[in-house]
Amino acid sequence: MNDALKHSTDLNVQLRPWDSFMALYQREMARFMKVIFQTVFTPLINSVLYLMIFGVSLGKSITLDHPVSYLAFLIPGLMMMGVLNNAFQNSSSSIISGKFSGDLEDLKVVPLTSTMILWAMSIAGLTRGLMVGLVTLFVGEAFSYVVDGQLIAIAQPLWLLLFLVIGGLMFSMLGVVVAFFARTMDQLSAVSSFVLVPLIYLGGVFFSMNGLHPFWRTVSRFNPVLYLINGVRYGLLGIADVNIWTASVVSVVFLGVFYILGLRALKVGDYQRW
Amino acid sequence: MTSQNLAPIKIDALVKDYGSLRAVDNVSFEMKPGEIFGLLGPNGAGKTTLISTIMTLEEPTSGSVQVFGHDVTKEPQITKTLTGFVPQELIHHGYFDVEEIMNFHSGYFGLRKNKERIDWLLQKLSLYEHRKKKVKALSGGMKRRLLIAKALVHDPKVLLLDEPTAGGDIELREQLWTFVEELKSQGLSILLTTHYIEEAEQLCARVGILQKGKLRRVGPTRELVKELTKREIGIRLKQEPTSDPTHPMFLRRVGSELIFETPSTMGAGDLLDQLNLDLKQVADLNIREGSLEDALRRVLGDKVATGGAV
Ligand SMILES: Nc1ncnc2c1ncn2[C@@H]1O[C@H](COP(=O)(O)OP(=O)(O)O)[C@@H](O)[C@H]1O
Ligand SMILES: [Mg+2]
Repeated sequence: MNDALKHSTDLNVQLRPWDSFMALYQREMARFMKVIFQTVFTPLINSVLYLMIFGVSLGKSITLDHPVSYLAFLIPGLMMMGVLNNAFQNSSSSIISGKFSGDLEDLKVVPLTSTMILWAMSIAGLTRGLMVGLVTLFVGEAFSYVVDGQLIAIAQPLWLLLFLVIGGLMFSMLGVVVAFFARTMDQLSAVSSFVLVPLIYLGGVFFSMNGLHPFWRTVSRFNPVLYLINGVRYGLLGIADVNIWTASVVSVVFLGVFYILGLRALKVGDYQRW
Repeated sequence: MTSQNLAPIKIDALVKDYGSLRAVDNVSFEMKPGEIFGLLGPNGAGKTTLISTIMTLEEPTSGSVQVFGHDVTKEPQITKTLTGFVPQELIHHGYFDVEEIMNFHSGYFGLRKNKERIDWLLQKLSLYEHRKKKVKALSGGMKRRLLIAKALVHDPKVLLLDEPTAGGDIELREQLWTFVEELKSQGLSILLTTHYIEEAEQLCARVGILQKGKLRRVGPTRELVKELTKREIGIRLKQEPTSDPTHPMFLRRVGSELIFETPSTMGAGDLLDQLNLDLKQVADLNIREGSLEDALRRVLGDKVATGGAV
């Protein structure tokens, strides 16, 4: 037998945290790359529909107090919506399917720390989110070219990237939290449809906060998604309903909160099979 | 103390409560390096719970668990790297094939380029030809073997096998135990639980007997059997005797054979002496040693199911 395959009784442990982390990141990526077609194709269809119905048909009758067309106004909101949904999807479905199959326990019996698991899942969710965001941007550019006769030049690329990254990480972490504490599949979808969808829709994907009743404007200020969407809108178009610095500080604070919740979920959460 | 003398697993006053149920009740024992240690006991005795605390799947209510001198709650990354774990329940892995699962699992231990060992393990466990199959398409026995391959992918120093042969066919069991003996001969320490007491008797140098969370007995298998069981000595005489002997250990007579039940420590010679039998009268001696299963039944009481399913 090859010596390398012989059992070694050496008790010195060599941890390779970077490789452990990368292995999990690669698994999380491989999981959605197996269904890459749906992953990218579904949001592509969604954006086309939204842009056709809202951007093109309704858009003509909507005026904004921003110097951009309603179609252009929609694109950053749709991008962020795609990022958030897919980031949440990726981490939560990974954990839930792990609870069904029993392989979530695998993560608990190998030298992966909660921090490593959280980052691997979050960055994978972010990666998927960014792919969808990019697809949405391309579709948006095509629509803009056809309908408005011009391509949109990205106003502030770094701000754009910053908010996409924060949003992707934040919702991946939220996915970890919700999936860990969900006791059933129904609970997970309840959180999706009664918490996430309203947050995203009321976060200003389709409208400017300036047009809202003052009461709702105040309520909106507590919605983290509002800052993410306005940040992205500022990055792409150079316009926003909130100050960009306020938006970034609030977003980073929320990211910190979700990070702590995510770590907590991984530390005390239940890895056992359903 | 050199590292080679450290106990692979050391359990100290371990208690695990699930609500009001005490699943593990003040258990202490130590494995010896390089041995196969068997944890036996009826369903619900707490075997899986105990193993789960070693893997940090369950947190001890009190007490401590050490792997080669490292506390599992204080240095989990080290203890997990030293340990290979085969869970009792099968795992399905919805999306991936056998080879992918092996690669990921190896990667979690920081070994992202481990093809040689992975191929070797898959061959050893007759999975190599199935390596491109989705895990969910494997039979139960193959899934079980995949769990074992996964547990060994990082060359652990102690292997925990929780009912590794449950539901498996004879072939799987024989193949598995041959492989386990081979690993043991290279110095791997192994803790196993099993339903098949004969397996434990053949393999385990020492066993611990759990019942309702309490460790009732722990010790070398042969010594426990000796201590807890009687041996039957049959003396077949050349001529059928006219009457039964009056010796207190006499059990029954079958034709010309006198059957005695003696303590395991007593030799046949002693019995012959006590009976004052002339060797010329004896046609044959027949000795039946007690089994681990008998010993287990003694410890657990007769209500326990027999026929191996303890
Ligand atoms: N997660 C759990 N929650 C509550 N009770 C449990 C849990 N796991 C095991 N038990 C209980 O603990 C006891 C020991 O179970 P277990 O360790 O699985 O026994 P064994 O592996 O020896 O069959 C049983 O009474 C079982 O019902
Ligand atoms: Mg069990």
